Amino acid sequence: MQVTLKIFRYNPEEDRKKHYDTFTLEAEPTDRVLDLLERIKGNQDGTLGFRRACAHGVCGSDAIRINGVNRLACKVLVQDLKTRQVVIEPILGLPVEKDLIVDMEPFFDHYRSVMPYFVNDDPPPAKERLQSPEERERFDDTTKCILCAACTTSCPSFWVNGKYVGPSAIVNAHRFIFDSRDQAAAERLEILNEQFGVYRCHTIFNCTDACPRDIQVTQAIGEIKKALAKGSLD
Amino acid sequence: MALSRKVGLLAGAKYKGGGPMLAWALHRISGLGIILFVTLHVIASFLTQQMGSDLGISINIFYESIYFQLFIVFCAIFHGVNGFRIIVLDIWPRLIRYQKESTWLEWFVILPLYLLTAFIMIRRFLAG
Ligand code: SF4
Ligand code: FES
Repeated sequence: MQVTLKIFRYNPEEDRKKHYDTFTLEAEPTDRVLDLLERIKGNQDGTLGFRRACAHGVCGSDAIRINGVNRLACKVLVQDLKTRQVVIEPILGLPVEKDLIVDMEPFFDHYRSVMPYFVNDDPPPAKERLQSPEERERFDDTTKCILCAACTTSCPSFWVNGKYVGPSAIVNAHRFIFDSRDQAAAERLEILNEQFGVYRCHTIFNCTDACPRDIQVTQAIGEIKKALAKGSLD
Repeated sequence: MALSRKVGLLAGAKYKGGGPMLAWALHRISGLGIILFVTLHVIASFLTQQMGSDLGISINIFYESIYFQLFIVFCAIFHGVNGFRIIVLDIWPRLIRYQKESTWLEWFVILPLYLLTAFIMIRRFLAG
């Protein structure tokens, strides 16, 4: 089948504004959008800029807007699109460096701000720090994040104010806050209780829909809001 | 130089967030509608009672018109029901995974409630 891709273009060395280029190519229903981008770059326009690494939904580097909604290019098949006209644009709310490539640094700054690492000052036991299956289950969902930024850049609160820490950082805080072995939950909760923390979330739900790992992002944010309101993690 | 991170209203509105994003947008719009109504009411009362001004009467006629009343009733019903839905989800975050379903459910409450109210209002209006 023939597919037409209308792609957002911006070259910082030549353009002052964005524009769109249209490419038409043959595709199989089982081709991924990433395959189409690769083919355009290989055969039609070598200057097209986009990120990719694993091509298997693991590294999180190819989050883009496909027909108006955030997705990983390597996880969307042509047959899933239900149309042969495809509009490809960069994710919103981060500076566009070139074509589909955005500056991820502000996103990672927010990630770093929530202490996304294990904190336990007790002397390590001889073997591993034990945890029951139920305790592990408590934060299982939020361990799956691949930091693709699809959630944060789908959030209108983040579009309006880039200081909002964003769903992804909150998901990664949740992963440690509810880990029974961690000791820095109170500090993380304090960070998220700030002006640009969890209360910027207005349960718009775009993040959960955008997450390629099917993480219940809004629920994780809601659990942190509730922990803050109750003053306990139970 | 990189393009600014700014997201324009149009670019944001074009994001296909679906029902829950629409509910969020309508919650803001209906909230502004209610504020507009209350503000007009206060201004009109002040102008009429304190200053005996005709402008107050004109504002009164505007917000008591059937069109504005139909709009404001929608705002009040939507804002109330959607606000209740959000409170429920805030209290029980585990229900947030059913957010899409909850948005559908709220329309099943809002539409009959609104249509019935609008029907009664329009019938009275037509009857004079
Ligand atoms: S929560 Fe999901 S959408 Fe957000 S960064 Fe992690 S994997 Fe990506
Ligand atoms: S290229 Fe790695 S997630 Fe898509």
